[in-house]
Amino acid sequence: MLFFDQLKKNDPQLRLLTMVVLGGLGVLLAGLWWVQIVSARDYQARLETQSFRTVRLPAVRGKILDRTGVALADSRPSFNASLYFEELRKPFDAAYTADLAALRRQLHAQMTEQEHALKHPLTRKERARFALSADQKNALRQRARYQVASNLVAYLSARLQQPAALDEQKFQRHYAAALVLPYPVLLNLDPTNLARFEEQSVTLEGLDLEMQPVRVYPYQTTAAHLLGQLRRDISSAEGEDSFLNYPLPVFRGTVGLEAAFDAQLRGRSGSKSVLVNNLGYRQSESVWSAALPGENVVLTLDLRLQQAAERALAQAMTEVRGAVVVLDPRNGDILALASAPSYDPNMFVRGLTPAEGRYLSDARLRPQINRAVQENYSPGSIFKIIVGLAALESGLDPRATYHVQPDPASPGHGCIFVGRQKIRDLAAPGDYDFHRALLRSSNAYFITNGLRAGIENILRLTRRLHLGELCGLPTRQEVRGNMPTLPEVRARWTAGETANVCIGQGEVDVTPLQVAVVTAAIANGGKVLYPRLVAAVAPQDPFSGGDRESFPGGQVRDELGVRPRNLQLVREAMLAETEDLEGTGYAAFHRGKPGAPVLPTFRVCGKTGTAQVKDASGRTVDHTTWFTSFAPYEDPRYVVVVMVESGGSGGGTAAPVARDIYLKIEELERAGAFRLPVVAQKN
Amino acid sequence: MFTANLNAPESRIDRVQLAALGGLMVLGVAFVYSATMVNEPLGFWAQYRDVTLVEFARWLIGEFFFRQIVWYLLGAAAGAAICLLDYRVLARWSFVVYGTTLLLLVVVLVPGLGTMRYGARRWIDLGFFQFQPSEFAKLAFVLSLAHFLSRPPEELRRIFWKSLGLMVLPFLLILKEPDLGSALVLVPAGLGMLYVAGTPRRYLIRLVSVLGILGALFLVDVFFAPPNWQIKVQDYQRRRLLVYFGQSYAPPPGASKAERERLRKQQFDDSHNVRQALISVGSGGLAGKGWRRGTQNALGYLPRAVAHNDFIFSVIAEEKGFVGSVVVITLYAVVLFTGLRTAGQARDRLGRLLAVGIVTLLFSQVFINIGMNIRIMPVTGVPLPLLSYGGSSVLGSLIAMGLLQNIYIHRKG
Repeated sequence: MLFFDQLKKNDPQLRLLTMVVLGGLGVLLAGLWWVQIVSARDYQARLETQSFRTVRLPAVRGKILDRTGVALADSRPSFNASLYFEELRKPFDAAYTADLAALRRQLHAQMTEQEHALKHPLTRKERARFALSADQKNALRQRARYQVASNLVAYLSARLQQPAALDEQKFQRHYAAALVLPYPVLLNLDPTNLARFEEQSVTLEGLDLEMQPVRVYPYQTTAAHLLGQLRRDISSAEGEDSFLNYPLPVFRGTVGLEAAFDAQLRGRSGSKSVLVNNLGYRQSESVWSAALPGENVVLTLDLRLQQAAERALAQAMTEVRGAVVVLDPRNGDILALASAPSYDPNMFVRGLTPAEGRYLSDARLRPQINRAVQENYSPGSIFKIIVGLAALESGLDPRATYHVQPDPASPGHGCIFVGRQKIRDLAAPGDYDFHRALLRSSNAYFITNGLRAGIENILRLTRRLHLGELCGLPTRQEVRGNMPTLPEVRARWTAGETANVCIGQGEVDVTPLQVAVVTAAIANGGKVLYPRLVAAVAPQDPFSGGDRESFPGGQVRDELGVRPRNLQLVREAMLAETEDLEGTGYAAFHRGKPGAPVLPTFRVCGKTGTAQVKDASGRTVDHTTWFTSFAPYEDPRYVVVVMVESGGSGGGTAAPVARDIYLKIEELERAGAFRLPVVAQKN
Repeated sequence: MFTANLNAPESRIDRVQLAALGGLMVLGVAFVYSATMVNEPLGFWAQYRDVTLVEFARWLIGEFFFRQIVWYLLGAAAGAAICLLDYRVLARWSFVVYGTTLLLLVVVLVPGLGTMRYGARRWIDLGFFQFQPSEFAKLAFVLSLAHFLSRPPEELRRIFWKSLGLMVLPFLLILKEPDLGSALVLVPAGLGMLYVAGTPRRYLIRLVSVLGILGALFLVDVFFAPPNWQIKVQDYQRRRLLVYFGQSYAPPPGASKAERERLRKQQFDDSHNVRQALISVGSGGLAGKGWRRGTQNALGYLPRAVAHNDFIFSVIAEEKGFVGSVVVITLYAVVLFTGLRTAGQARDRLGRLLAVGIVTLLFSQVFINIGMNIRIMPVTGVPLPLLSYGGSSVLGSLIAMGLLQNIYIHRKG
C-alpha cells in the first residue's frame, strides 16, 4: 500500500508528515460522515423548508339542486387575468438596469457640475455623496418592477377595452409576501374579454389566465334564505393539510344549507408544493394531493313552485314582508319555502357594497330573517282549526247553534264578554253552528266552545301537533314558536287567557312552517309529519363510485289521534271558507260575488286569519294576515300557507297569494311537469 | 528489468498518481458542467444538434466546462514540458521565478493593472484570461524554499531567519490583496519543508508557538478588543471569522433598533454561503441526488458565482452524496501519498524538499476547502485544486504535479 511504505521506512520526518496527512483526511471523512450520514435528514428538512412553498388547491364546491336537478347554487369557473412573476424576471431586471444606468448618468452629470462649480476634482468624501446606497437601489428595483407590471396591465387594459389599474401598494405587498402566487389583475373576465385575451395572450409574456371556482346562485334571490351564505376562509378543515404557506381561501358556509351541509358540499382541499429559487420565484410545482370535489345536495324544493310562490308573495302588496310554505301533505316534502323580502346571496361571494350592507341591516325589512321559520307570529283565526277540533273531540255537537250577541258599541258586529273583558267579533250577531262559525270565523263561538272544552284539551292537541317545538330543518335557523305547557297552565291561568288562545292571540305563537305541518295533518287524515327539505346528498360525478345518501320522506312524527268524522267536519268547513258566499276566502277564489271559480279544477280548503300585533302596553299596532290551505279537496296534494306582515286581512291580502300559487300548480300539473319521480334521480 | 527501465524512460513515471489526477480532472469537468449548465436544461447534445457548427463552437468557448477542459490540456502540456528538464536544472532558476512572481504580486496591487472583484484585487486582466499571480507565487515559493533549504543541514541554523523571510514576503503581499486563505496555505507548506529539511527542533517549536500566540492574539483582538484598539483587517474578513466562530455581530453600544436589525440581517446574509454549502452537502445523504439533479445549485441557493469554483465540492457532495465525497478524498489521498512516496525516493535533498512542499501545499488547500464546506474551517477563497474552475489554479496545480513526476522520474535507483 502507498502510505504503509512510508510508515515502515526509517524516515521519521516523512512518517510524521504521512500521519498528519492521514489524520487530516480522516478528520475530513469523519466530518463528511457526520454531515452527510448522521445529520442528512436534518439538512434535507432544511432544504425543504427553504425551497418549497405549499399552496392549497381549493376543491370545487358541490351544487345545491332542486328536486328536478336544477342547480340553485352552482360553481362556475371564474377566469382572472393574472401576472406570473417568474416570467417577468427578465423584464424586471432589464428595466432595473436601464433605470440604474439613467440614474448613474444623472448623478455623474451632477458630479461634473459640482466639480465645475468648485473648480477642483471632488475629494473621496464629496464623491461618496453621489454613490447609491443599497436601500436606494432596492427602491429603484421595486419601482422598476412596478413600472413593468403597470405597463403590462395598461397594455392589457387597452387591448381588452376594460379599465384596469395596478395598485402599487398591493402589488409590492404581494411581491414581498406571496411571490409564488400569480397576481390577479383583471378579475372575472366575461366571455368576450376571455376571447380577446386568448387572441392577445401569445404576445403578452408574464400574463396568463388563472381559473378559480366561484360560487354562483343563478336564480339570485330565489330561495336565498334556505341556501344561506358563504364567506371566504383560509383555515384548514379536518383531514386536510394544515400548515400551508399559502392557504388559498375556500368558501365556507356560514348560514343556511351552505352551513348545514358544509362538510359535504365543500369537498376536500388538495395541496401543491411549489419549488422556489433563492429569490423566491416559482421554479416548478407538483400536486401533492388533488382536491376532491364536494357532494351535491338535492332538495325537495321545486324551482318552478318556489319562483311562483315568491312572485305571488311579492305581488301581495308593496314592500311585502311575509312568507309562503308549499308542502306535500302526503310525505312532508317542502316544495317551496319563500320569505320576503329576500336578498341576492351572490353579493356575499363578491363582497358587500355599503348600500347592500345597509339594506341587509334594515331594522324594518330585516331581509336576512327567514320569515317562514325564523320568526314567531300570532296565528290569529287559523288557530280556530285546532280549537274547533279540540272542542269536537271533547264532545261539541257540530249542529248545535250558539247565539252571538251584538256588540253594544257597534251593532253590526258580535261580541263576547269573558269576565269583565269584552272581545269583539267581526262576524255578525246571530245563530252559528260549527260549520258556519268556522267559515265566518266567529270569535264568540270558538271562545265559548274553547272554554267549554278547556285549555288542557286544546294543549294536548297542540302537543301532538308539536307546536312550540322545532320542525327539525337541517338549516337549524328555526324558532320554536310559543305554546303554554300543561304545568304552566295548571300553575297559573285565567279564563281570559284561554279565550285569547281560542282566537289565536296571546300566549300562542307559530311559524308558517308549523302551520303547514298542522294543515297537512288535517289534509292527510291525522299524520303529523316531519317536513323534509333535503332529499339526498350525492356525489357530483355520478360515476365516481361515491355513495348517495338519501333522506327518506314521509317520516311520521306523531298521530293526531282524532276521530275521522271530526277531521272531515273541519275539512268541509275549510272548503266552505272558499266556496260559500259567506266564507272569508270566497272573494279571492271567485270572479265576483257570486261568480265563477278562478281555479279551473282545484277545490281549495282554507282558513283565513288576521292576528293583532300588540306593543308592550297592549295596544294593537299591526296585523299579521294568514291564509292556510290545502288542495285539491278530494285528494290533497298541496298545502299552501301564506303569511303577510302588516296585511289588510287574511282574505284580502293572504288568500290571493295562495290562489296565484294554486293557479301555477294547476298549470304545471296540466303540462305534466310533476310526472317525475318524487325525487330526481339524476344530478 | 533494469535495462527495460533505461530503454523506456516513460515507464518511470508515476502511473498511479497520473490515474488519480485523471480521475480528479474527469470529476472536475463533469461537475463544472453540472454547476454551470443549470440554465441550459437541454445540455450539450441538444446544443450540438440544434445549431450550426460555428454557433456551437462559439457557444462552447463561452462555457466554463469547455474552458476547464482547455485549462486541463494546457496544464497537462505545461506539466509534461516541465518533466523534460531535470528538476535540478529548474531549481537553479528558482530565484528568478520567485522574483518574477513577487513582482507580479506587486503589480496586481496597482489599481488599473490589477482587477478588483468582490472587494479584492487578485487578478490581472489579460483579456482572455484573468491571471491570478498568487496561484503561481505559492509554487515559486515552494521551489525557491526547497532550493534554499537543500544545502547541508548544518547550515540551516544560520539561514533560519532568511528562510523565514522567504516565506514572509509573498505572505504579506498576498495578504495585502487581500487573500487571507492563499496567504495562509504558505505557512503549513513552509513549516513542513523546514521540518523535513532538518531544522533544529527547538527553532521549529519556537516558531510554531510564536505563530500560535500571534494567531490567538489576532483572534482575541478581532473579537473582543474595543474598536479603536483593533488591528485593521478587512471588515468582511472580520465578519467571516465571526461567522466561523459562531459569534454574533456585536452592535456598537447605544445602537438604534434599525442598526441592530441591519447587523442581524447582515449576519444572516454573510453566513448564507456557509449555511447553503452545509445544506447542499448534508442533503446529499449517502448516495446523492444524481448528477445535475442537485437543487441547491440549480435554484441558486448556492450562489452561482462560487458554485463552480470555491464551492464545487458542495455540488459534488450534493449530487453524489457521501459516496462521492469518499471518492474525491480517496483520489486526493492517492495523489498525496504517491507524492510522499516520491519524497521518500527522491535522489537528493532538493527533490525531497520540493516533493514535501508540493504535497503539504496541496494538502492544506484540500483541507481548507473541503473543511469550509462542512464548517470545520472558515470561509476563505481557497480553490479546491484540480476540481475548482479557474485557469490559474488548474495551471499551477498541474505544473506542481509535473514537478512531482519530474522528481519521481529522476528518483534513486
